[in-house]
Amino acid sequence: MSMDRRLFSAGMVAAASASGGQAPRRTNAPTPTSVPTGPLPYLAGNPELARFNPLKRILFHDDFDNGINGWAELQANHNGNLDDLRPLLKDMRPPQLSSCTFFDLGTHGSLSGTYSLKLATRPKPFHTAVGVKRFTYAKPCKVQMEMWFTYKAEQTFDGDGNWDGNVSPSELNFGDFTISNDVSEGEAGPRYQCALRYMNTDLEGKSLQKWMYKTSLHATTKMERQGITAQTDDYHVLKTTDWADVPGGYQPLCFNEIATKVNWHYLRWVFDIQTRRNVELQVNELTMDLRNIPVPVYDQGYRSLNHLLNLLVDVRTHKSVRNFLFIDSVLVSVDA
Amino acid sequence: MVRRSFTAVIEKNATFSAPFETEPYETGWAEEARWFVRVLELDGQLTLTPQLSPDGLFWCDDEKVPMVVRDKGLYTLSLRDFGNWLRLRGEFARASSSAKIMIYLALKE
Repeated sequence: MSMDRRLFSAGMVAAASASGGQAPRRTNAPTPTSVPTGPLPYLAGNPELARFNPLKRILFHDDFDNGINGWAELQANHNGNLDDLRPLLKDMRPPQLSSCTFFDLGTHGSLSGTYSLKLATRPKPFHTAVGVKRFTYAKPCKVQMEMWFTYKAEQTFDGDGNWDGNVSPSELNFGDFTISNDVSEGEAGPRYQCALRYMNTDLEGKSLQKWMYKTSLHATTKMERQGITAQTDDYHVLKTTDWADVPGGYQPLCFNEIATKVNWHYLRWVFDIQTRRNVELQVNELTMDLRNIPVPVYDQGYRSLNHLLNLLVDVRTHKSVRNFLFIDSVLVSVDA
Repeated sequence: MVRRSFTAVIEKNATFSAPFETEPYETGWAEEARWFVRVLELDGQLTLTPQLSPDGLFWCDDEKVPMVVRDKGLYTLSLRDFGNWLRLRGEFARASSSAKIMIYLALKE
């Protein structure tokens, strides 16, 4: 246990005990691009790392029992006056260290230990909470982000009893979550963003449970100051409809029936800074080949972003119900 | 290992003109907490009461004396033994009041 002070944990979730949070073995999953090459020797005997499948070099391994690890609120640009924050990005909420404590069962804890990173929206339709990890890249290469995550809508108390005892209406209170990047080669090169969204429900609250990718880029501060007006319901894109289905991306995840039982999921996303493309996305049993998916590129250069490499995670509610994304741990590795 | 700390910006230049509660914030890992409220504009008198919760859903006032804000400036209030969730409740002494404020929550192990 890395954090000295611990909360009482009423019970360990099944995935955290005997299974040790095993990642899907890569030999069992279709891997169209076969990015990982096999367990690295130093992973043996280290269950905190062995649940990941890193590429050649690990850049960082963030276990949120150790603290916030540099995952910060996404902050809009300003010139010292916070009144100038653009509405689209003015309120992305500070990340939290969560013990997954609920009103009915107490503390759930994380996959290992007690704490996970929590992003929490306001109870306001289309409000989004965004966490960003900011670093830079040394040379163009493949980058792989892996994480163990779960997602929930806040418990509500307006149930009408029309419930089959299995699928909770609260599952339909969860909107979507997205993993994305922001890569810039500096003044001489392009700036682009890959974004992959798990759309749990559509904007009317009907179940979708599929992966999507964005087909446009959000308006930057620079673009807004040049006269482009941004919508405020989806910070990723220019128009809220600028999303397309990932081929083969239908995937029911394990919400586990009610709002207070959390089951951790494994996610592995690879993108390539050399080709400026996604490579693949694996979530539990499903691996999606993303190499042919177009990646939108800004049509102007950006100064002071030389070799920028940002990774982002966000959660967006579609209703007046808080939505949460919990991340037990993250590992980012590169192949060079 | 040095002791961990974290400052959350709970509100940024937000203007309130009616009673309000800040968003729930999880604090179980911290031993001490300190609210900072920077009042940028104020019309009326604002009382800020720290609230505690076992679950982020149901809330009660902390036993401490609340902060009473009568002018612009930086105000603070510290807490210990607060459980796992914190928020601030704000209310004005009279109707037709307003306040523009920054709210920080500074946490330490």
